[in-house]
Formats: sequence, C-alpha cells, structure tokens
Amino acid sequence: MLVEQLINGVVLGSMYALIAQGYTLIFGVLDKLNFAHGEVFMLGGFVCLASIALGASLPVAILVAAIISGLLGLMIEFVGFRKFRSPDAHITAALSSFAIGLVIIDLSQKVWGAEPVALTLPGTLQTATVSIAGLNIVVLRLAILVISLLLMFVLYGVVVKTSLGRRIRAVAESPAKAALFGINVTRVNQQVFFIASAMSGLAGLALAVRTGYANTDVGFTFGLKALAIMAIGGMGDLRGALIGGLLVGVLEALAFQWGLGQLADVFVWLFMIVILLVRPAGLFGTLISKDVRA
Amino acid sequence: MMQDYVVFVGINIVLAWSVYVILLAGSLSFANGGFMAIGAYVSGVLTVKFGVPLVLAALAAGVAAGAIGVLVGFPALRTRGIYLMLVTVGVTVSVKAVIESIDYVGGIQGFGGMVGTTQWHVVALVAMVGCGLWALSKSPLQRILDAVREDELSAASLGINPVHVKLVCFGAGAFLAAVAGSFYAHYLIHVAPDQFGIVLSVFIVLYAVLGGTNNLWGPPIGAAIMTLIPEFVRGLESWRPTAFGIIILGLLLIRPDGLLAFRSITARARGIFVTKRA
Amino acid sequence: MDMAAQPILAVDGLRKSFRGLTALESVSLEVRRGEILGLMGPNGAGKSVFINVITGLYPSDGGAIRYCGRDVTALPSYVLARLGIARTYQNIRLLRRMTVLENVLVAIKDHASQPFRSLFVRNRSGGVAAAMALLEQFHLADKADRLAGTLAYGEARRLEIARALAGKPSLLFLDEPAAGMNERETEELAATIRTSHRLVEAIVIVEHDVAMMRGLSDRLVVMDSGRKIAEGNPADVLTQPNVVEAYLGTDGADD
Ligand SMILES: Nc1ncnc2c1ncn2[C@@H]1O[C@H](COP(=O)(O)OP(=O)(O)O)[C@@H](O)[C@H]1O
Ligand SMILES: [Mg+2]
Repeated sequence: MLVEQLINGVVLGSMYALIAQGYTLIFGVLDKLNFAHGEVFMLGGFVCLASIALGASLPVAILVAAIISGLLGLMIEFVGFRKFRSPDAHITAALSSFAIGLVIIDLSQKVWGAEPVALTLPGTLQTATVSIAGLNIVVLRLAILVISLLLMFVLYGVVVKTSLGRRIRAVAESPAKAALFGINVTRVNQQVFFIASAMSGLAGLALAVRTGYANTDVGFTFGLKALAIMAIGGMGDLRGALIGGLLVGVLEALAFQWGLGQLADVFVWLFMIVILLVRPAGLFGTLISKDVRA
Repeated sequence: MMQDYVVFVGINIVLAWSVYVILLAGSLSFANGGFMAIGAYVSGVLTVKFGVPLVLAALAAGVAAGAIGVLVGFPALRTRGIYLMLVTVGVTVSVKAVIESIDYVGGIQGFGGMVGTTQWHVVALVAMVGCGLWALSKSPLQRILDAVREDELSAASLGINPVHVKLVCFGAGAFLAAVAGSFYAHYLIHVAPDQFGIVLSVFIVLYAVLGGTNNLWGPPIGAAIMTLIPEFVRGLESWRPTAFGIIILGLLLIRPDGLLAFRSITARARGIFVTKRA
Repeated sequence: MDMAAQPILAVDGLRKSFRGLTALESVSLEVRRGEILGLMGPNGAGKSVFINVITGLYPSDGGAIRYCGRDVTALPSYVLARLGIARTYQNIRLLRRMTVLENVLVAIKDHASQPFRSLFVRNRSGGVAAAMALLEQFHLADKADRLAGTLAYGEARRLEIARALAGKPSLLFLDEPAAGMNERETEELAATIRTSHRLVEAIVIVEHDVAMMRGLSDRLVVMDSGRKIAEGNPADVLTQPNVVEAYLGTDGADD
C-alpha cells in the first residue's frame, strides 16, 4: 500500500529528524561532529528496556530515558569535547567522540549481548490500530510522529524565543564574542549536549518500542544515517534536519516499496554527496563558518 | 603461525599508513575499511574469475579505489574539509551495503577462492610503502603538506591549492588501503562484507593515531602493538573496543597535540639542518 | 597596447556585503606599475575586505577585477597567488608550528604550484639559498630554525612579508604591517618595504600611521564606510576636508 508506506516513511523520517537535530545543534554550536551521538540514540532503547523490566510504566521509562541520555550527553561533552574547543580540533574531537562511542557499544554488548533484545510493552500499545479514512494505522506510529514533531517544535521555540536560545545562538555565532558578553560558554555547551542527547535517546526509545527490539547495532546503522541527513539539510540548521529527515524517511519507504530496500543505506550517502556537489551548504545551511574569517 | 603474524601485522601497518597519508594533509578518513573492501573484492574478482596475476590485480584494485576516493572526495573537499569526514563514513557504509547486494560476488555470504599472498608479498609491500613515505618526508612536499594541515587559507595565499593536495592524499590513502585489502583477501581465501564495517575503519584510524602521527614510524608501531597484544594477552580480545577507546581517550586528554602533532620540534630542526647541508 | 601604461591592477565597481552589512559599495581604483599605493581609512572602512576580495578570500558580490589586463574576478586565491598577487594578513597568519625557514620555503614558487613534482624531480637544495637570502634581508637569518609561533611581534610581521615575497610576486598587499610596532620598528619596516619594492612591480599598503604613509606612498586612496572618498598625492589628500572629517568622526583610528 503506497499510502501506508508513505505514512511509515514519515514516522521513520521523524525519528531520523530527532537524531539529526541533535547532531546539527551540537555542530552549530561547537562546529564539531559528535560521533558518539548515534550511541546515545542506541542506548535510549536499552534504558527503556531496562526501566520496563524493572516495572516502570511507559511514561516513567520515557522520562528516565530522556534524563539518562541527557546525562550521558553531559559526560560526552566533558570527556570528548571540553578540552578540544579550538577551531582546528575537528579531528581530535572526532576521534575522542568515536572512541566514546566504541566504549558505549562494547559495554552495552557486554550487558545485553550483541543480538537484538525483545522489548514488549504491557497491554496492546504496540499493536493497537485506528482506522482513519479507510486506512488501518498503528496508533503507536501516530503517537511517535506527533510526539517527535512536538519535541522539535518545542526545541525550535526554545532556540528562537527564549533567553537560553539567545545564548545558544550567540555561542553558535562566535564563542569568543559570546564570552565577552558574559555568557558562560561551557554552560551553554552543556545545555546543548543535554538537550541534543535527550532528544536522541528518546528517538532510540521510539525506535525500540516501534520495532519491538532494542539493538546495539542501531547506532552505526540508523544513527550514522542521521549524520548524512544533517549534512543534506544543512549543517547547523534545525529546519534542514527536520525536512531532510522526513525526506529521507519517505524516500526510503518508497525504496522498500519498489524492492530496493537493500540499497536504502547507500542511497542516503549518495544523496548527501550529490547535495554537496550542487548545494555545498545543504538544503538550508549557509557556508559561513566560524573559522573562515580572516 | 609466524607467517600469520607477519601477514596480519604487515597489512595493518600498511592500513595505518593509508590513514597517515590522508592525515598528512589534515583530513581524517573513516573510509579506509571501505577502500580495503573494494581492494579485496576487485582484486578477488580479477584473480578468481579472470585469472589475472595477484600483483597486477592488487594494483588495479588500488587504482579503482583511488579513483572512487577522488570522485567522492572532490565535492566534499571543494566546500569544507569537515565534510570529507562525513563522506568517508558514507563510503564505508555504502561499500558494505553495495557488496552485500551484488550476487555476483556472493552477497552477504561473501566471496572465496582467493589465494596467493605470501609473507614476502607483505614484507615487500611494507618496505616499499615505507621507503616512499620516507622519501616524502625528506622532500619539499612534506612542507607543503605541513602547511595545508596547519592553515589552508594561509597555504592558499602562498599559491598552494589545498583541495588538490588533499584530494591527491585521499586518493593515495585509498590506493594503499585497497592494495592492503587485496593481499589480505588473497591470504584469507574467503572474505565477507561483514568484515569491512565501520568499526574496522575506526580501528584503522586508531592504529595510526595510537602510535602517534609525529612521523611515519608511529603508525606502524601502533598497528603492530594493537595487532599483537590481543594475540598474547588472553581475554583481551573480547575487551578490545573498550580498551582501545579508553586508551585513545586517555592519550588525547593527556597529550591532545602529541598524538597529532606531526614531527616533533627536534625532528623538525634536524630535518632542516640536513636540508641546509645538502 | 603599451605595457607600461597599463595599470597592474584595475578594480571597477567592486561590491561586497555580509548578511546585509555593506562592506564595499562600488569601489573602483587602479594600481599602477612601479608605485606604492597607500590605502587609508578609519577602522571598519572596508580596507581589509577590499584586500580579501581582491586576493580571492571572499567572493565578490559584483564588479570586475583586472590584473595585468586579464579578468581575475572569480579566481580562487591560490591561482591569484600563482599569477603574482601576494599578501600579508592584518592579524598575522604564519604557519606557527613550522620553522621560520620552512615558512619561506613553503612559498617558493615551484613547490607551491606543483607540490607533487618535488617527489619525483630531485632538486635537493629546495630553494634554501634563496630563502636564506630573503631572511637575511629581513634580519631573520639567525632565527631560521626557530618555530614561527615563538617569534616576537615585529619579527613575525617581517617574516610574513618575506614569505609573501618568496613566491616572486608582481603585486604585494600589506595589511597594516606596522600595527603594534614602536616608532623605531616602524622606521625599520618602512626601510624594508622600500627594499622590497625593488623586488615587486607594485605595493598596496594599508596603514594608519600618517607619517609613514606620507613618506612611503606615491599615491594615497582613502576609504570610508565601504567607499573611496579621496585619491591623489599624499600631501593633498591628507588635507582634504572630507578625509580629515572621516578620521575625526571615528575614534581609535590610530590604534
Ligand atoms: N567575514 C566577515 N563577516 C562579516 N562581516 C565582516 C567580515 N569581514 C569584515 N566584515 C565587516 O566589514 C566591515 C569592514 O571591515 P574591514 O575591511 O575589516 O575594515 P578595515 O577597513 O578596518 O580593514 C566591518 O564592519 C566588518 O565588521
Ligand atoms: Mg583591516
């Protein structure tokens, strides 16, 4: 069913967008890629799994996953980025965050094993459907879509409207100038990491609940794809991450529809390379970066 | 047994150098596992299905990987260097997925029948690459690379084309990784796409960085140590990623510049001294 | 066409803005062969942006740049450097982790424009003699093996000029070369610039020091708010009312 596939694509895309917005937020503010971000996403699913296993209800599990992911983000900022702030520390920051990612995966596999672990929620939440205009839609997918969009909407509001957002934008523009205006750059970096990681963890939770499995692989498969999506949308641009995510989600769903599912992973990266050729800054981004001023 | 050590250490040394060559121009590549896979499969098809001699097939595979590297590296480098890092991740992910979908080379099951690598192939390869890099370190090119790595803008206003320099280095790194992959496959007889995931690419980078990229001797030391230690310390194999990650983090935190400094000050002063006398 | 009469650089209607802020508003000027052209103006006038656009660091938003009669408007900076346009930066951009000598060697033309040839073509001396001669001229020969990042301010400024000259340019842009120097250093610098002038066809120098500019430049161009407001011989231009006003209207023009 084409329409159903499209809806699946949008739901998938909203999860991509949640992760991609985290990547893009961190990139926009620090000008560095956080390669551990996908593993925060992965761990979100397992935190949910563990919470449920300990008897927590889903809303509690969601809260726990958001908080633990956020805290993990603070740890990543402290270990992987705090010391590597200079504009030419791209490589160092990439290495350190990749190293953190490796440790997170390896330890997760020590605890939960390398195979996917089933995650079943009590009740019929994972299977219940509603029928809208003659289509049977899994309620859970709709819920994921609505909540993801809501989260991104809130994030956008925070960045554009609040004083926290003003500080974030100031640091994104120029950390040195922001510091001159009395902004605590380290604090802003921590806030950004917390927000981005919490969102990523929630996306991981959503994926685990939707598929019924938590899987230590998803950081490298699903999570890394969001990195390409960020570049497609324009690095450092929230709108770009949202639209890029939805676009890729829908295109992937169509690829499955047409029997090209196996190549879905390739296609995202090729799309990114093509975008770099025709629109170097991505769909929405600008190429101005902090270190290009002379 | 001894032959195993020589071959695997040697291949990992060349892989570490393939990352080093790219780092020399200031880019980081997580694509070398993917290029290695290209090397393994292209050369494998050439020898197994077309009867091409191994050395020739390895060279052809290297050229193919180098061409792909230049092709995908160009759009990334033309804009901002950091995009190359993204593209390299994409290369590794994509190469694996593409190979998995090609039935001609066995899909997920993998591809077999490659034979012919001896330890002498690998020793010769290490020696040749080492000599090449040593010659580079003594040539004016080393200074050009240093300049591009240190400040692209400044280098460009001196007449250096940073994109060109980085692209050639990226292509050369892809070439080396693919040649290493060719000999690797023809030693193992059978390879599967699963062996060439992103983790392998990250490991290769870590070999190079762990040994230190101050000069061309660091990467082989890192590669040799990281290949051999798990063989001799029982139980470490299963903790490899964690141990690797923590060691790298520790070193980066203690000596952030040390690992990526390229040529210590003393080595640099000596180099100039030699140049002046010559 | 008479080569001598043709200006080495002809800029016509050059425009550049950054996100709504207009940094250059249709600037036209010529640099003649053999001259030292002074470029003055209060801070934020757009002098550095002018140099950055000419040398290909920023793309222009409009206008034309002709160098030796050739349209070079959209060329990247490394091509312009190879064609013979060299520069220094207002905030010094040396290769700080390379030695003083290496900084100059990097800029040697054959290497910079054909970097990979040096791997195959043996030219052992690598231009060391030429580089040392340049360092000698800029009183840096004894510091050849020091890391550039450890140089004192004035030395770093001199090294940047020496490095710019290593590529044998025809046209040299100096962006505030005397900034942060004391009077004696400034005088020494003026002398080195005069010497350098023998090695290039023309120099464009941005400076705030009125005495230095009066002594050095053959002609003077004054900019304010992205526009050229005066042009002519230094003595006349410096007394023009609008020039005086432009400088008095802003503070800190002398720092
Ligand atoms: N990369 C840039 N991005 C945004 N604004 C810039 C940039 N470079 C210069 N400007 C602005 O352009 C104007 C002219 O600057 P500049 O040319 O540096 O002045 P000066 O004449 O002192 O050298 C200033 O308002 C400056 O803030
Ligand atoms: Mg200026």
